[in-house]
Amino acid sequence: MRSLTLEGASFWYPATESPALREVSLEVAQGEVVALVGALGAGASTLLLVAADLAPRVTGGRLTGSVARRDRSGIVLPTPWTQASGMAFTVWDEVAFGPANLGWPTHEIARQVDRALEQLELVPLALRDPASLSGGELQRVIIASILAMDPGLVLFDEPAAELDAEAARALWRLIRLQAKEGKAVLLATSALDALPDVADRVVWLEDGAVRAVGTPELLADVAACDAGLGTSVASVWRASGLPGPYPLTVAHALQRWR
Amino acid sequence: MTGGRLHPFTLLAIAGALPALAWILPAPRGGAATAAVALVLTLTPGASPGLTGTGVSPGWRPGLVVLRTAVLTAAPFWLFLLLLHDVPTTIAIGLRITTMVASFVWLVAALQPARLVEAMVAAGWSASVAYLLAATLSAVPVLKARARRIVDAQRCRGLSPRGGIAARLRALRALALPLVLSALHEVDERALALETRGLVPGIRRTPLAPPPDPAVEQAARWALLLACLFALFRRFL
Repeated sequence: MRSLTLEGASFWYPATESPALREVSLEVAQGEVVALVGALGAGASTLLLVAADLAPRVTGGRLTGSVARRDRSGIVLPTPWTQASGMAFTVWDEVAFGPANLGWPTHEIARQVDRALEQLELVPLALRDPASLSGGELQRVIIASILAMDPGLVLFDEPAAELDAEAARALWRLIRLQAKEGKAVLLATSALDALPDVADRVVWLEDGAVRAVGTPELLADVAACDAGLGTSVASVWRASGLPGPYPLTVAHALQRWR
Repeated sequence: MTGGRLHPFTLLAIAGALPALAWILPAPRGGAATAAVALVLTLTPGASPGLTGTGVSPGWRPGLVVLRTAVLTAAPFWLFLLLLHDVPTTIAIGLRITTMVASFVWLVAALQPARLVEAMVAAGWSASVAYLLAATLSAVPVLKARARRIVDAQRCRGLSPRGGIAARLRALRALALPLVLSALHEVDERALALETRGLVPGIRRTPLAPPPDPAVEQAARWALLLACLFALFRRFL
């Protein structure tokens, strides 16, 4: 079942003449992880804001085309410091901020918060002051804060930017788990190497428009590699002058090599 | 008295009543009394963040920091008053302004925004209004911490905030622009984050841990209100 449907959506930020999104049509189904890739300024973050119903409602600007959302959405933005409520004494309180705003009963808030803390491996930090956390820890707290609100559509904007390699791997596993639980996930990331294991589909954005949509194999496409959007393995294969189609992962490269 | 442990409404009542009384009571004795009380409040434990800026410190030294902030903020007003008025008027108005400044500085230091939100929500206020008020009060320490980070960054680039007036002005310019721009930029992102976390107009937020509001504090708040009304009545009738 579709969680998000965009049909011919174009969006202009306030006081700009050229659109940040151009005629974007996209569907994200429940249980599916869709990754947005593209160069800086390609429109991935804007697409997430539109999907989250924050643009133009909060940002201002103008939207044309249609956007249909079936589920309540939650978005994780790239900078954790600006997402902390600033109204919490502890990590537990910070994660509970969103569920409390939804007016849930206290026992349900506690259940969702405890679950999110466990999923993000934050239980040992539950009583810490959020202001004393590192960037990576705070990013995990923010992700837990969104998941604790139990959104049907989860939107991630560069969620691994502040995370170390181990925490990033745990996050990718968690994203797959979210999809397995039936949530729709739309993800903008420059961590292309993770996508073959995480994404069901990849959407390549260029200058605000959809250039290509496909399976993660798209990231081994010659044109994608030329645009700097290939996985590390595909890019190395290409740089060494080996012929296409480029392998996507180390496993693919080994198969090709043999 | 421990500012950090009083109910947020009591803190607000004290911080509101003192300036009101300063202006209602006859000068200069009324202003002197309220200014003295407000300045003593800045020395109470719990009126200042700890050394890390994250907790409530029971110590004496942080209290002195709050007192110093109040005095340094009030000092320029005295200077301008002295330039514009005679000495008795300067003292009369200066004491009142000192009361206002010290009360506000004490309130900002002692009032924990999270407790205020919880108290207001428990009292039936809109969560977004409560957040707006609490965020306004917490803006001062947030901006202070940000300014400190920017100054540290400028120092790393060789720009010292110390030295003569010219050097200080250069440092001030290098501080002001990034401080204002980053604050404005953060407003946008914070608005998006709060929206997605459900802080929208009309919500009915669940209070998680509303601070206790003992009957004695409720009585004290009514007493402060009655004291202001009584002083007003005596002054003008």
